[in-house]
Amino acid sequence: MRSRVDGARRLAELVLRATALAALAALLWRAMRPPSAAGADVARGDLGTALARWTAAPPTEMRAVFDATPDPLTRDWLRALAAAGSPVRWSASRPLGAAAVIAEPSAEPYGATRVRLAAGRGEPVTIGDGAGVIDTLPNGGGMELELAAVSGGVRAAGATFAATTIARDSALLRPVLVIGAAGWEAKFTIAALEERGWRVAARLRVAPGVEVTQGPLGAIDTARYSAVVALDSTAAPLAGAIARFVRDGGGAVLAGSAARLGAVAPIAPGGVGRRVPGVAGAVASATPRAGLPAFVITPLASDAVALESREGAAVVAARRVAAGRALQSGYDDTWRWRMAGGDGAVVAHREWWSQLVAGVAYAPLLARSSTAHAVVDEAPRAALVAALGPPSAFDARLAPRRDAARTTRILFTLVVASLLLEWSSRRFRGAR
Amino acid sequence: MVSEFVFATAQYESGDWDSAPLVPANLIDSVARYTGLPVAPAGAIVALSSDDLFRFPFVFLTGHLPVRFTEAERANVRRFADRGGMLFVDDHNHDIDGAFHKTAVEEIARAVGPLVQLPNTHPIYSTFFRFPDGPPNTSHELNGWGDNLVHSHLLAAMRGDRIAVLYSNKDYSSEWGYHPDNKRFLSIDNTKFGVNVIVYALTR
Repeated sequence: MRSRVDGARRLAELVLRATALAALAALLWRAMRPPSAAGADVARGDLGTALARWTAAPPTEMRAVFDATPDPLTRDWLRALAAAGSPVRWSASRPLGAAAVIAEPSAEPYGATRVRLAAGRGEPVTIGDGAGVIDTLPNGGGMELELAAVSGGVRAAGATFAATTIARDSALLRPVLVIGAAGWEAKFTIAALEERGWRVAARLRVAPGVEVTQGPLGAIDTARYSAVVALDSTAAPLAGAIARFVRDGGGAVLAGSAARLGAVAPIAPGGVGRRVPGVAGAVASATPRAGLPAFVITPLASDAVALESREGAAVVAARRVAAGRALQSGYDDTWRWRMAGGDGAVVAHREWWSQLVAGVAYAPLLARSSTAHAVVDEAPRAALVAALGPPSAFDARLAPRRDAARTTRILFTLVVASLLLEWSSRRFRGAR
Repeated sequence: MVSEFVFATAQYESGDWDSAPLVPANLIDSVARYTGLPVAPAGAIVALSSDDLFRFPFVFLTGHLPVRFTEAERANVRRFADRGGMLFVDDHNHDIDGAFHKTAVEEIARAVGPLVQLPNTHPIYSTFFRFPDGPPNTSHELNGWGDNLVHSHLLAAMRGDRIAVLYSNKDYSSEWGYHPDNKRFLSIDNTKFGVNVIVYALTR
C-alpha cells in the first residue's frame, strides 16, 4: 500500500511532467506561429538588443516604440536598416518634445557665442554646457543667449529629448570698408569699429579726386570685405559695386543719405525721407540717439524690418537682398554721441556701430572638425523624422513586453528543469 | 550731409589764449581753397572748461604766457582726448625753454599724458600735402631770417596710434597769423601744413 507521501510525490511528478509538456508546447507554438503584428518585430525603450537582433536577422518589419527621442547612433542605425530594405516604423509611448539648439559665434571680432534655443511649449527645458547649467525655461519656448565663453558642447534637455551642439570656434571676418567724406562721422565711425577689433579699410574723400585711404583697398567683393559702410553721397562712384557685393552675400550699412545713391537705392531697406532734428540735450541722456538728427526711412520696403523708430517712422531698418543683407541708418552725426554723450558714450557708440556692421557682415562659419559631428544633434526630433519619416499609428500594445529570445530561454530552462526533477524523483523512489 | 568743419580756438583762463586771432581765418581759407571739405566760414571760440568743447573734435590752442589749467579745464581736456578729440597746441614764443612751453608741456602731461617726439615719417606729414622732411620750418627759425633755432620735430601725446595732442614750438601762430588775402604775396603758401593737420584730425 502506498503511503500518503508517496502519493504526493507521484502527484508532483505528474505536475512536473505536465509543466514540461506545456513549456514544450509553448516553445513549439512560438516557433510555428507567424511573427507578431503581421510579421513586425516590435521593440521599445532601449533598442540596443533589438538593433543587434534586427541586424543579424532582419524581420519583415521593424517597429520601434520610443520613450524619448533616440540618440544619433540609434537613429542612424535604424536609418541604415531601413536603407538595407527592411521597413522601419516608429511611434512614441508619450509625446516627444521638439527642440533645436545652435551655438554660433556672433559676427564680431572678439564676439560672444550666441546660443539660440527653440523648444515646444509646456515642457521644461534646461540648457547648459560642459561647465554646468546655464538657464532653465520652465515652460519651454525660445531663448537667445550671448555667452562670453562656452565650455565644451551646449545641451538643451527636456524629459523626452536632448539636443546637443558644439559651438564653432569663430567666423571668418574680413575687413570692413568705410566710404565717405573726410569728416567727424567718418573718423569716429572708423575709430569705433577699430576699437571693437574690426579691421577697417577706408576711402575718405578730401577733395575731388583726392582720397585719404587706409587698409587693404581693392575690388569690393566678399573675398576681400565682410561689409561696406557708405556714409554719404561720396560713395556714388562705387554704388554699383556695393549693390553687387550685397547681392553676392556681402553686407552694407547705408548711413545718412547714402541710400539715395542710384544703384544702391534698389537694395536699400527704404527711401530717405526728411531729416528729423534731435531732441536738445538728449545726447547726454539715457536715450542718446534721440538727441541726434536722423533721416527717416520712408517708404519702407515691404520686406524690410524696422529696427529703430522715431516719431512713428523707421530710422534704422534692414532687409535681406539676394544672398546678402543691407542695413539703413538714418543717423549721419553719431560722432556727437561719442563726443558729447554721457559717461559710457564711447563704449556705447562703439558697440552700436559694431552691431550694425555685425548684423549684415558676410562671415562664413568655419567648418567643424569631423569628430564634432558625432556629438552634434541640434534638432533630434526633426532629425528623427528626416531619418525614419513621421511617426506611425501602429498598436504598440502588440509589442511583447519581454524580449522574445529571453522568453524562449526561460521556457527551455523550464522544460529541462521540470524533466530533470521528475526523472530524479522517479529514480529516487526506485521507479524507472 | 556731412557736418561742416568748424575751426575752434581754445579759450583758457590763464595766459593769453587769443594771441593769434588771424590764424583761424587763414586756415579756414586754406582748407576751403585746397580741399572739398565743407568748412564753416567763421571759426569758433570754445572755453576749455565748457561742455561746448565736445562739439568741436579739433581745437587749436596757443599763447605766449604760462598755461595753468583749472581743474575743470584739465578734466575736460582729458575727457576730450579720451573721446577722440585732437588738441593742436602751438607755442607762440618759438622757445626752447620758455614759460609757455614749460607750463603747457606740464599741463598736457597731467591732463593727457607725456609728450613724445613725433617721427617725421608720421602720416600727418603726408596725409594731404607731402612734407618728406617733417614739419615745415617757420621764418622765425630759418637762418638769415630767424634765430636759426630749428625744432626738427613736433611732439605728440598719443592715444593708441592716434594723436590726441599735437604740440609745436615752431610758432606757427606767428607764421600763419596774417590775413588770407596776403597769401598771394607768397611764392609758397606756408599754411599747407595747417591743412594737413586738419585733414589728419578729420580722418584719423
